[in-house]
Amino acid sequence: MKIRCKPLLGTYVEISIDQDDSDQHFDDAFAAIKQVQNLMSFHDPISELNVINQTVHLEPVAIHPWTAEVLKIAQDIYEESDGLFNCGIGHRLVAAGLLPCHMDLSMYQMSGIEDIRFIDPQIIISSKPLCLDLGGIAKGFAVDKAVESLISRGIESACVNAGGDLRVFGPIPMSIQIRHPSRPTQLIDIGSLQNGAIATSSLYFSKRDQLQSHIINPLARDESEVHLHFSNSFSIVANECVYADALTKVLALSGEMDHPCLNHFGAKAIRLAA
Amino acid sequence: MNWKPNPFAIFGLAMMSTPIIAQAKIYISIEQAQKILFPNQSLTKAPIIITDELQEKMRLASSIRHPFRGDRIWTTSAGGWLIIDEVIGKHEMITYAVALSPNGSVLGIEILEYVESYGYEVAELDWRKQFVGKTAKDPIKLNQDIQNIGGATLSCKHITDGVKRVAVLYDLALKTK
Repeated sequence: MKIRCKPLLGTYVEISIDQDDSDQHFDDAFAAIKQVQNLMSFHDPISELNVINQTVHLEPVAIHPWTAEVLKIAQDIYEESDGLFNCGIGHRLVAAGLLPCHMDLSMYQMSGIEDIRFIDPQIIISSKPLCLDLGGIAKGFAVDKAVESLISRGIESACVNAGGDLRVFGPIPMSIQIRHPSRPTQLIDIGSLQNGAIATSSLYFSKRDQLQSHIINPLARDESEVHLHFSNSFSIVANECVYADALTKVLALSGEMDHPCLNHFGAKAIRLAA
Repeated sequence: MNWKPNPFAIFGLAMMSTPIIAQAKIYISIEQAQKILFPNQSLTKAPIIITDELQEKMRLASSIRHPFRGDRIWTTSAGGWLIIDEVIGKHEMITYAVALSPNGSVLGIEILEYVESYGYEVAELDWRKQFVGKTAKDPIKLNQDIQNIGGATLSCKHITDGVKRVAVLYDLALKTK
């Protein structure tokens, strides 16, 4: 077993491979994650995401196939969750000081992911201005891309963990620990996972670091409903990490362990009480 | 996907068993970091003395108070640099390596050790000693079985600050060498 760790996607990305002569495979998998970061980072002012946010309501924008894939998945989950999952909430996170400000947001009424229209598989336009934040879903997607990279190079068993969003593959089930929501340095063994992904939404680090909640309710009717506050931890187990991460928002916002949207994507919910 | 939940965890009873304490990991050694960041290149140790003035400028640029150690710097024959540094936050201590090109751009960053805990423990020298001199082949974990830790996303802001102070070190001390 070899483990390497790099700071990427604003967190610590750890890859462990059950094979020794694997430095090149690590590098390729980390490179896939770096590419997702370059395309979809909100923090990087020249990422493709920021080009989309600044110009998509003015003119068609040609995008990378990976960005197109993420936006399609985001729209799909938006539909299936009746709008509970919507990554068009970037302006809310900017207003709360959780994301950097790259443009003047005050003069616009922001729309959401539903207004993105594909003119072509890789060209999008929007009728209204919007401010997408792909933070969570892109993290899940990056984990999936790293896993694909490892599988395509013949690795038989590995784990990719992007600061808590993780996916495992291989012949042996791996035991998974998640942090206790009120004592995050303590771990709870929640079960074993083979060929699957798990992601978690919780606010213990936000509270510890005295930050506003980053879980935004896209259906908020007034300001008081924008930031969701909760003390439990909500995890989703799914085949792919991109779905696991996005669906934690549906679970946290709805509070429904058997929300039809989770079923639709073949996902399972886990709630740990604080 | 094959998911076998731990029934105790699902019923909220997992804490009845002994809690597992998160995490202390050693990923790679300094030698391995050198090989990963500068493959097939030989490195020469190039320590520098960190003056109070330089220390202060690095602190201002990065908001890291913990002093920088000048004895963990290497240079390649092509003029690249490898710097090992630590960041000590309230909740974690992280040793990392930064590779710089001859013109100071970041070629790569690797985490060597990640020790998660709370400030009062990290500050204790005795507590730290148990991690000194270990190599990646000798992974100390407070629980040997800990591998896959899920949970809310952990921010890597401290490393971003650390890289800022390495950039200042390059500008003020390494560039002119």
